[in-house]
Amino acid sequence: MLSRVAESLFWMSRYFERAENTARFLDVNFNLLLDLNKITHVENPSYWIALILVTSDKERFNNLYEEYSAHTVTDYLVFNKNNPNSITSCISLARENARSIIESISSEMWEQVNNLYHYLQSVTPQFVHTDPYGFYKEIKNASHLFQGITDNTFSHNEGWDFIQIAKYLERTDNIARLIDVKYHMLLSEAQNQAEIVEGSEDIIQWMAVLKSCSALEAFRKVYLSKIDPDNILRFLILDRTFPRSINFSVCAAEDALWRISGSSRHRYVNNADRLIGKIEAELSYTAIEDIYSKGLHLYLEDLEQRLVKVGEQVHLTYFAYHTPEIEPVDIEESLPFTGVAGGRAYWSQAQQHQQQQQQQ
Amino acid sequence: MSRFFERYEPETSQFFDEVIATEGAPRPHYDKMLQRFAQFSIDDIKARREIVNIFFRNQGITFTVYGEDEGVERLFPFDLIPRVVPAHEWQTIEKGLIQRITALNEFLNDIYHGQKILKDKIIPAELILGSQHFRREFVGVNPPLGIYIHVTGSDIIRDRQGNYLVLEDNLRTPSGVSYMLQNRQAMKRAFPVLFDKYKIRPIENYPQELLRTLQEIGPVSRREPNVVVLTPGIYNSAYFEHSFLARQMGVELTEGKDLVVNNNKVYTRTTRGLEQVDVIYRRVDDAYLDPLVFRPDSKLGVAGLVNAYRKGNVTLANAIGCGVADDKVIYSFVPKIIKYYLGEDPVLENVPTWLASNPADLKYILANLDLLVVKAANESGGYGMLIGPESTIEEQEKFAEMIVANPRNYIAQPTISLSRHPSFFNDTELWGCHIDLRPYVLYGKTITIVPGGLTRVALKRGSLVVNSSQGGGSKDTWVVDE
Repeated sequence: MLSRVAESLFWMSRYFERAENTARFLDVNFNLLLDLNKITHVENPSYWIALILVTSDKERFNNLYEEYSAHTVTDYLVFNKNNPNSITSCISLARENARSIIESISSEMWEQVNNLYHYLQSVTPQFVHTDPYGFYKEIKNASHLFQGITDNTFSHNEGWDFIQIAKYLERTDNIARLIDVKYHMLLSEAQNQAEIVEGSEDIIQWMAVLKSCSALEAFRKVYLSKIDPDNILRFLILDRTFPRSINFSVCAAEDALWRISGSSRHRYVNNADRLIGKIEAELSYTAIEDIYSKGLHLYLEDLEQRLVKVGEQVHLTYFAYHTPEIEPVDIEESLPFTGVAGGRAYWSQAQQHQQQQQQQ
Repeated sequence: MSRFFERYEPETSQFFDEVIATEGAPRPHYDKMLQRFAQFSIDDIKARREIVNIFFRNQGITFTVYGEDEGVERLFPFDLIPRVVPAHEWQTIEKGLIQRITALNEFLNDIYHGQKILKDKIIPAELILGSQHFRREFVGVNPPLGIYIHVTGSDIIRDRQGNYLVLEDNLRTPSGVSYMLQNRQAMKRAFPVLFDKYKIRPIENYPQELLRTLQEIGPVSRREPNVVVLTPGIYNSAYFEHSFLARQMGVELTEGKDLVVNNNKVYTRTTRGLEQVDVIYRRVDDAYLDPLVFRPDSKLGVAGLVNAYRKGNVTLANAIGCGVADDKVIYSFVPKIIKYYLGEDPVLENVPTWLASNPADLKYILANLDLLVVKAANESGGYGMLIGPESTIEEQEKFAEMIVANPRNYIAQPTISLSRHPSFFNDTELWGCHIDLRPYVLYGKTITIVPGGLTRVALKRGSLVVNSSQGGGSKDTWVVDE
């Protein structure tokens, strides 16, 4: 398959997954506040700051808004076109990538990306504030529908594997960040109130984290109603069967990478396979105590860094193809690659202009 | 007659109407259509309009308009009343196009080899050698089978008497064929009963015919040729068409970045390494194909592509340098070209044309700017035109200056009142709108023309410009056996 097509499939999938995860972050925060304002003071801005912190966007946010509130954070994460990770931006980028490979994907996949894009163009901030639950549900369902359509209308060959890699790398990164939000909340409240919050508020927060991964019911089936942080972290990081756990997602990304390259256990063919295999092996032999001894935040941060490296190696191995005689594609011109953002949806003004010139 | 057609004013004293003959009666091949439309209410029409709109939107059939602040995606305006071309008229068109394309290909082959036609002084040599589309560096290069113009789309109009005339030969990268195919799909969905009443010749095999043509022109001595489509990219207004054709043919759609030349061979970059390419159906203009040979600032091309082509390792469709034969000045010589190479009189006439480079013609043009249509020789898509009767004195003066400064670059034609076809306005009433016809001609081992083409319609009342970039739309075109 053309490297460009593989790359666009990758980014289409990745941006779609990112939009879904952002919707999950926001949804859980709204629910959390609804629960918490019964027992604590209303509109605690620290909950909204946490959302900006986990997306590593504090500086850009501060340039655009005065304060952290439901209104500003929602605007930034849902609508803002200057935020490349807002839901609207992600779906626009997913659509641009899909559009550039429209002949390679199934028409049903295109229709689904296109429908969600047009839906987002029609949604107003007022609507989101009136019915946040309905809105985020719509985004999550649209993402699930897209995945279902992809699984059932698109051949499960190399292209599908690139879609899987992107989806699971993005999901792993997001679960790690989501757990980190909880960490930030504990931290900020500890600073504010000079003590770690415990008791019902803490449980409610952890339940919210589980809910945002659609994991509460699955968790209860394993641990019954014993909601304590150790079990929750075990479940979200180390469980191998739940599709929104880190270990499951890493295994799924690894399987897809191996299918493409023909790697097998203990025999890697390229660096992408080696790095993902290393993460997977370590996760398989990690106990929750190992994570605590390193420190939860540091552990998650390190994991995120290593996932970025996997993304870079996928790019070098499959997308920026070159041989000793042939120079690689001009990466500088084609995309600002950082491992977590990119794709062929970026075009320079000069390229756009020249593309428009050709007609008869 | 239908309520829509009862109120329709064909104005047959001024225009050739495709549906209503001069006596006020419908032409026989439109009888069944009028009967069917007589059964429709306005609501019926609106319901069918909705079917068509949903079809186009779901397919992503939009085009992009430039020149405003930023590109805006729009649905391509589509008129619900199909155009019917009876088989005996189609026979003339087909015969005329085969003759014309054969002669133009001979002409290109001659221009890029012995240049006999110039030595025999049928065409002034300076018109060819001075054309910006003449590619000196390709003199002596032999494309497979001696074919230069594999895919063409001539624009055909009808005059006051209903004669079919060729208005333009688009020999470089004519677009619109995807609309021809999609219009047919839309009509089948919206008007199945009407569709069933006519014996309509099918056009659905166009992608297969295109692929067959492209495979036939592959470099000799190669296995089953690997064909790709080369697009400028998603910002091109015809991008939908490029991806549509690639998908329909089952071949890769590539951008310049996907291709790489090594040792004078062209390859695609794939996740598994390099794969050699044999035939490129390119929808990128000559000037942007290869930054090493043409425009060095091109971001759409492939460095080294031209050398690979000259070596015969890859075939380009269409060949480089075809623009020299669809220049609007050369157009005026096509009847002579047909006579010179084939010894025949043209089946399809030209529109009378005055050349500003000819002093006597120049005088006539400048004296009659308010009556003529003036066109820049090298522009396409309806840009760079002056429509005399609709222009202001200032515009005429501006054009007069430009013509005098560069006479080689301008031609003039009488304002032909293109034939008119009833078309819906707001889905409630019918207007007579001017139309043309662009059939698509494929030239491999043989010449193939799928029966039909894209009928473009000027949906602005009274407008003569049918280009989509200028507010034109299209209709389905039915070639019917009686």
